[in-house]
Amino acid sequence: MSTITLAKALNDGLRASMEGDAKVVVMGEDVGKLGGVFRVTDGLQKDFGEDRVIDTPLSESGIIGTAVGLAMRGYRPVCEIQFDGFVYPAYDQIVSQVAKLHFRSGGRLPMPIVIRIPFGGGIGAVEHHSESPEAQFAHTAGLKVVACSNAADAYWMIQQAIACDDPVIFLEPKRRYWEKANLDREAAPAPLLSSKVVRDGTDVTVLAYGPMVKTCLESAIAAAEGGTSIEVIDLRTLSPLDLEPVYASVRRTGRVVVVHEAVVNLGIGAEVAARITEQCFYALEAPVLRVGGFDTPYPPSRIEEEYLPDLDRVLDAVDRSLAY
Amino acid sequence: MTLKEFKLPDVGEGLTEAEIVGWRVKPGDTVRVNDIVVEIETAKSLVELPCPYAGTVADLLVAEGETVLVGTPIIAVAPEGADVPSPQPAAEAGVDEAAAALAAQPSAPDDVAGDGVVEAGLIGGAAPGGRTSVLVGYGPRTTEAKRRPRKGAAAPDGEPSTPSPEGPAGRVLAKPPVRKLAKDLGVDLLAVTPSGLGGVITRSDVEALAGAPSPRAGTSPGTSAAPVRPGGETRIPVKGVRKMTAEAMVRSAFTAPHVTEWLTLDVTRMVELVERLKTDREFADVRVSPLLVVAKAVCLAVRRTPELNATWDESAQEIVVKHGVNLGIAAATPRGLVVPNIVGADAMGLHDLAAALGELVGIARDGRTQPAQMAGGTFTITNVGVFGVDAGTPILNPGETGILALGSVSRRPWVVDGPDGEQVVPRWVTTLALSFDHRVVDGAQGSRFLADVGRLLSDPATAMLY
Repeated sequence: MSTITLAKALNDGLRASMEGDAKVVVMGEDVGKLGGVFRVTDGLQKDFGEDRVIDTPLSESGIIGTAVGLAMRGYRPVCEIQFDGFVYPAYDQIVSQVAKLHFRSGGRLPMPIVIRIPFGGGIGAVEHHSESPEAQFAHTAGLKVVACSNAADAYWMIQQAIACDDPVIFLEPKRRYWEKANLDREAAPAPLLSSKVVRDGTDVTVLAYGPMVKTCLESAIAAAEGGTSIEVIDLRTLSPLDLEPVYASVRRTGRVVVVHEAVVNLGIGAEVAARITEQCFYALEAPVLRVGGFDTPYPPSRIEEEYLPDLDRVLDAVDRSLAY
Repeated sequence: MTLKEFKLPDVGEGLTEAEIVGWRVKPGDTVRVNDIVVEIETAKSLVELPCPYAGTVADLLVAEGETVLVGTPIIAVAPEGADVPSPQPAAEAGVDEAAAALAAQPSAPDDVAGDGVVEAGLIGGAAPGGRTSVLVGYGPRTTEAKRRPRKGAAAPDGEPSTPSPEGPAGRVLAKPPVRKLAKDLGVDLLAVTPSGLGGVITRSDVEALAGAPSPRAGTSPGTSAAPVRPGGETRIPVKGVRKMTAEAMVRSAFTAPHVTEWLTLDVTRMVELVERLKTDREFADVRVSPLLVVAKAVCLAVRRTPELNATWDESAQEIVVKHGVNLGIAAATPRGLVVPNIVGADAMGLHDLAAALGELVGIARDGRTQPAQMAGGTFTITNVGVFGVDAGTPILNPGETGILALGSVSRRPWVVDGPDGEQVVPRWVTTLALSFDHRVVDGAQGSRFLADVGRLLSDPATAMLY
């Protein structure tokens, strides 16, 4: 058991995968000599060489296109997109090639590509650096989309994603890179495509993933002081969704709030709400409520705290749910 | 004197080195936090660096024109008051740069500099304002997230942000679980008077109507928006548990020739036993009831008359006597009648049996009984006494040979032998009704079984004989 930051846990996880499989290559902008802008790939090029940790040109389309070719020849590329808002030049490669080649080739060409994307805001950055594009990928069949929320999950999930034969969009909560957690490297990890109850409660079920998990846990602590018991579930996988634990929780609490940084409109929360309504209709004491970003482009950093869901927004939704 | 060394930070472009272009301060100058102290040139641009410390410049560690790596100390600052003897113990005086930088900030967290893993100003290290340094942006906050002060707790039903319920004209307003309840209880929501805010039908509104014997005719005050339909009838679709029950009862009643025997008896000693067990510490965690003792008595009586714990195999033309009692308990639930059973009830001690009984009844009341829990029963008890009736003619659970109905346990006059001969005294009395499948057993076995159960209830001590 050790205490480790989320960024370091990813670094250790990448290292473990690279040590375990010579076909794993890391590529992206500044991932080599610099070690990545968030230092997630720090030291990997020094230890594994420039052939396996590749500093690419500033061309996201080129990074993913190259990864497709590598995957065709049996490699397992791990691509870093430096910031969420930089992924769009690669969007065509991801949705048209990465997501479809396995299907198109009748199963002959698996695409074991991991695309790491630091996502979400909260670091006071300029535009393109704080976006939450997960729904765009979750809406594309052929891609798996997962989001880690803490160091322990990050360590295991990155290795599981690399081991996965399907392409995985791997979302990293950049504002939580320096949050520490206990990591037990001996413990058996939960499956990659599973959600997890991270705090038990009885009154309202709150669902979150990535950076919002911590926000929701803090909300639950604040609510407990007021006598409201919130159950928090970390969705972890956004495509496919693993909602059985959610249904079980909702059947007990009858109330749900879904929280994400991405805009509410047509976000992951909309799909989750629809499925809960289908599966738990008679258990619902209140409509499934969503908390998320406003329907605007991500704002300038000076006012991002007004945009990002926080304790107050989460707890306001909890109160509204309880008022029905 | 402890000097604070400011190390060349990564200034936000992901570069690893920079040239010191010009100093804006010289040794001896006084600097405040965020004063510009140096101009550096990276591969991309000229950048002015603010100082994270307040104090007096002690030394410039790098000459103008030199190129140094990120992380190299470039300037030493003597903190304010450092030239007078430090009042702090030496151990505390050695705090690292991050703490010093953060000390100038009102909301500096304690834990950032804690293990000193990353230097202030480097990626992942401390940044001014209670943040973590990043290449792009001010950095994420390291301070605790707090809830804003609440404006007086709004009453739950007065919460202004809750949309006020408003349905289309002529439609009723009710939450899904209440609609489900109404469906299960056969209540027509149109006939319910809503008591909730904004005309919403609540759970208790439905329950109140379900408890009423007939659809209300003119009994509601004129405030109800729902149309009142005098006379008439309610048609309930037969499905779910009702349908299953109906099919099972028809199958049982018209295949197994039923014989029912009755026994009315004094169970005062059983009632005393129940009262005694209720105060027994070992039974503190379970529910003790007459049903428990009856269940135990059935399990014992089966030992003498195992034919009652059997099934008729029509196709094989065999009687299959079961070697264990899976004791079914008929339970009235919101969903209807269910008969879950306790597997291996005859092998249980009284405490375990009580626990199993409590769990089974609890699950049934919650409507969570699984089909598997209702399969494989070998004998059934139906406790109609809880409804206040003397007994009834129970119909066999299909596939079983015996079913015992337990009537209400009540005070009745009873003839007993006293010191002055026979006299009539009030005693706890109940009636048992046993139905059995006459294909499997005859009156002799059935009567012996019922008499055994009766003896065990009127004198629980006879259990010692088994």
